[in-house]
Amino acid sequence: MLSLLIAIPIVGAVLTMLMPNGITAKRASLTALTIAVAITLFLSRNFILSEGNFQFRESYTWISLIGLDYRLGLDGISLPLVGLNMLISWLIVFAYNGYRSRLFYALILLANAGLTGAFTATNILLFSIFYELELIPGYLLIAIWGSAKREYAAMKFLIFTAVSGILILVGFLALGWLSGDTMPNFDYQSLRQADLPVSLQIILLLILLIGFGIKTPLVPLHTWLPDTYVESSTYTAMFLGGLLAKLGAYGLIRFCMPLFPTAWQNLSPILAFWGGISILYGAITAIAQKDIKRMVAYSSIGHMGYILLAVSADSSLSLVGGVSQMVSHGVVLALLFYLVGIVEAKVGTREIDVLNGLMNPLRGLPTTSALLVLGGMASAGIPGLVGFVAEFLIFQGSFTQFPIPTLMAIVGTGLTAVYFVILLNRTCFGRLDNRTAYYPKVLGIEQIPALVLTALILWFGLQPANLVKWSEATAQTYSRFTLAELMPVPIDSAQIAIKK
Amino acid sequence: MANIVEIAVSNDSFQTLVTAVKAANLVDALSSPGPFTVFAPVDSAFAKLPAGTITTLVQNIPQLTRILTYHVVAGKYKKADLLDKPRLTSLEGSELYINVNGTFEVNNATVIAADIEADNGVIHVIDTVILMRPHWFDGIMESGGYSFRK
Amino acid sequence: MTTTLERKTVLPPSQHEFAEVVHRLEAGGAMLPDTPENLMQIIGLYKAYAIPMDFYWRDLLYIAERVFLDPVPAFKYFLPKEYLELENHYAGDNADLRIWRGYATAHKELLEFMEQGELKKKLPKLFHHLWHDRINMEFAEECMRAMLWHRNMGGLLEPYMDSEEYKQNCDRAIRAYFKYNPIMLGLYKLFPEMFYEQCRQATMTSVLGLFWEIMAPVFLEMSDIYDEGGFKGVPDAMNFLVNGIFAIAGRPIYHRVNIRGEWYDLVPKSKGFTWLYEAAFPYVEAVFYRTSPFRGTKSYNAQAKQIPADQNDFHYGVLYADKFPVGSAGIPPTLLHQDMFHFLPPYLVEYYQKFCRGKDDMLIQLGISFQRSMYCVTSAVIQAGRAAFLYPLDDPNPDHLRANRAYFEGQLNRFCRREYGINEAARLRFIQTQDYR
Repeated sequence: MLSLLIAIPIVGAVLTMLMPNGITAKRASLTALTIAVAITLFLSRNFILSEGNFQFRESYTWISLIGLDYRLGLDGISLPLVGLNMLISWLIVFAYNGYRSRLFYALILLANAGLTGAFTATNILLFSIFYELELIPGYLLIAIWGSAKREYAAMKFLIFTAVSGILILVGFLALGWLSGDTMPNFDYQSLRQADLPVSLQIILLLILLIGFGIKTPLVPLHTWLPDTYVESSTYTAMFLGGLLAKLGAYGLIRFCMPLFPTAWQNLSPILAFWGGISILYGAITAIAQKDIKRMVAYSSIGHMGYILLAVSADSSLSLVGGVSQMVSHGVVLALLFYLVGIVEAKVGTREIDVLNGLMNPLRGLPTTSALLVLGGMASAGIPGLVGFVAEFLIFQGSFTQFPIPTLMAIVGTGLTAVYFVILLNRTCFGRLDNRTAYYPKVLGIEQIPALVLTALILWFGLQPANLVKWSEATAQTYSRFTLAELMPVPIDSAQIAIKK
Repeated sequence: MANIVEIAVSNDSFQTLVTAVKAANLVDALSSPGPFTVFAPVDSAFAKLPAGTITTLVQNIPQLTRILTYHVVAGKYKKADLLDKPRLTSLEGSELYINVNGTFEVNNATVIAADIEADNGVIHVIDTVILMRPHWFDGIMESGGYSFRK
Repeated sequence: MTTTLERKTVLPPSQHEFAEVVHRLEAGGAMLPDTPENLMQIIGLYKAYAIPMDFYWRDLLYIAERVFLDPVPAFKYFLPKEYLELENHYAGDNADLRIWRGYATAHKELLEFMEQGELKKKLPKLFHHLWHDRINMEFAEECMRAMLWHRNMGGLLEPYMDSEEYKQNCDRAIRAYFKYNPIMLGLYKLFPEMFYEQCRQATMTSVLGLFWEIMAPVFLEMSDIYDEGGFKGVPDAMNFLVNGIFAIAGRPIYHRVNIRGEWYDLVPKSKGFTWLYEAAFPYVEAVFYRTSPFRGTKSYNAQAKQIPADQNDFHYGVLYADKFPVGSAGIPPTLLHQDMFHFLPPYLVEYYQKFCRGKDDMLIQLGISFQRSMYCVTSAVIQAGRAAFLYPLDDPNPDHLRANRAYFEGQLNRFCRREYGINEAARLRFIQTQDYR
């Protein structure tokens, strides 16, 4: 079943490239994705909510010489992400109508397949392969469809992501060889039971942390992100920010924390602070921006910091919050990039100092502005919207353990509201400039992706159970303790002396 | 000598003026001892006004009276007397702007015949019907760089 | 293009910021450039404005003469049949001076609209009224309020309204009106000034009603002449307005109240107040130039002196209006746009669909055309002022021409003032191009 989910988009990509023109190509890719969406819905229907372990497992030996098995599984952490993947890919393919669309759809489908593979792989080497597979579509998506500095941005993306991929591969290879006896052991389930010496754990964890940290991104490994997101086209930015970035956070939750429990536990106070710093850095730099797309990009950095905080706190509540934050951030970021894209396309500029008065019902972009307000509110964690659900769970789950980083995160949320108010105040409110305000209308069909994402934000915000229920059981199996038993495992003081 | 009204009646070029004065019931006032200075527009002055202006005024006597009394000043002022008088207050209440340097002008009308003596005053014949200048007029002209004698 | 007149002496070119406009005015044109598109826009809007105006003047007179001091005038916008059939003094067979060739009672299109409204359904009148599916009288009342509120706009009526004679007239009317209402009479004894102020408001309502009673047939006649092809350009249309202004300059301005069948004069005709001095000039000064800042939709910082301390410096009238923020509920000009939208001639509807967002932002497009048309009216007032107080355009005397030029430049200087951003708010520069839509 899960293999179908990977195979169908790949087949769809091939078919798309064979299509004669853009319209038929879109039909082909949409068909493939619709089938994939249907399968995902079917899987979620049959997903057992109370079961914390992997479901819908598939297992085939592939290259046993190096320990690479084709093993897939879906649990409460991967299911929401796979759903997110399908949703956003579908919306992107639905909305895009531009230049070289055939290649674009094919690349999105390939990247989609790679992501599904990465999220469902239960063999860590398989994961690395799917992770690396994302590189080429990602690079091409930026380089072909971006704006003026796209080659520079694409190259930067490539280098950083490649380094991250290498580090992850090195880490996994080391882990696999060190955990197995004659044969390396790359099987995720058994690796969780493995018990490596703590010093080794810490070294491997650090390697993987840097690798995934580049991808998430975590400050100061984030420098590839602003240029990449800003120079990409709207749809590429939606894909990169909404989906590709989740690979890093996914790696933190799936691999860094569970595979090195003692090391993680030892490092968690530092990691919690790291998360807090990342949140504050993202928010403060966003406030200083004059380009609305760059502002959204920096906000993305800020929001990923919450996930590190959640994972370091490692309570079931915070892990549920972390997974919800991944979904929430994906949806909200996709919405924000899409709306910024519309503003840029219709008005012609992204500069905050020039934009003004877009809420005007007759000559402005009223629906887009309204949705921008909603998106900003969601990002700032206003109750009733999905952002609040995720952030509140994280705060609640982390506060007793790491009060200071949680406080930093709460301050970060407040600062998010600051820069969004700046954005909305300058962009949506105020007066249209008579000399230049002759913008084309936003058509109904262009509104659809934004409306779908907004509906989802409201749906999850008003009834959080729909988002949260998927990951609850799995979070229980991953967390060290529940809220009820907030007794941390005693830390061995001799091991804490080992630093970077 | 005749009084102002009799002079106007006897002159061919004041037919419209006489009709207006009669309609406004100002005959008695203008026949009284006064003295008055009257700036009398000739018939061609009235003809210069766009069609309908006189019709409307004649239908509304108080309004006509106002326009007519604007052409009358209490007191007898011959041209020589006006050399040092840039403004005169009319019977209507608003001011008349007098200019005697070079041409003898009242507001925007040129005096084509001055100092016509009457029993109860003096008549100056003008070529345009003069209208009260609104309170903002001076300010606008000054803003445009033109100042009237004060 | 502009007509050139044969002149014996010619002044050197103007050095003014708006020199081309000065030269156009000196040649007999308007502040608005003379193009067929401009002519079409302004005439179309005159027609669209004339029909709501037909309702406005009737209802204003109804309010001034009948509603008068009603403490809870909930139905003042429900015009009775008697006033719909009131004959306009300047149209129809019994006219004092027939300006419009058509009929004197309420316009056909107006009656049609009042029947069915925008919804095109026959609902009880109250529903149409509450839904604002009617002629929005709030705009007319806002104009009245601007005229009442701005002092020193000229004319003899304003000092008269402060005089003893007027107060005595009011006293008589107030006592008659509240003859059977001891509560209101008691209030009157306690607060007479309040009642006098209400009377002044009713007087200004009457003044505005009488003012617009004339403008409506003028605009309708202009629309008819344009439909026949009688206007060769914008100067022709403007000259029609100038001649109209002169023709009705002497129209009496008065206020009388009908209390139980008897007429009481608050401002009698015998005071000699004229249309030109007591209605037209104050209206242009108070409503076209000044009015008041929009309340409740825009924030102004008083400490930063964003609103002029002197009321005379207000610059919120149609000549300075920013037509883009349209659609906010309740701003009076928006209500006017909504009214005019219902009566746009078909050639304008077709024209607007070709530009900007077509049907969707027609309110803004017509608002801008309306602004052009009001600049044309202002030009007519300026040219009428020149004709009345200064010299003909083809005067041979260069001193006279210099006086004319000073007058034109002085008028244009009002749009060039640097204080309070007046020069940026004035739309004079914008209307010089066709792209301003």
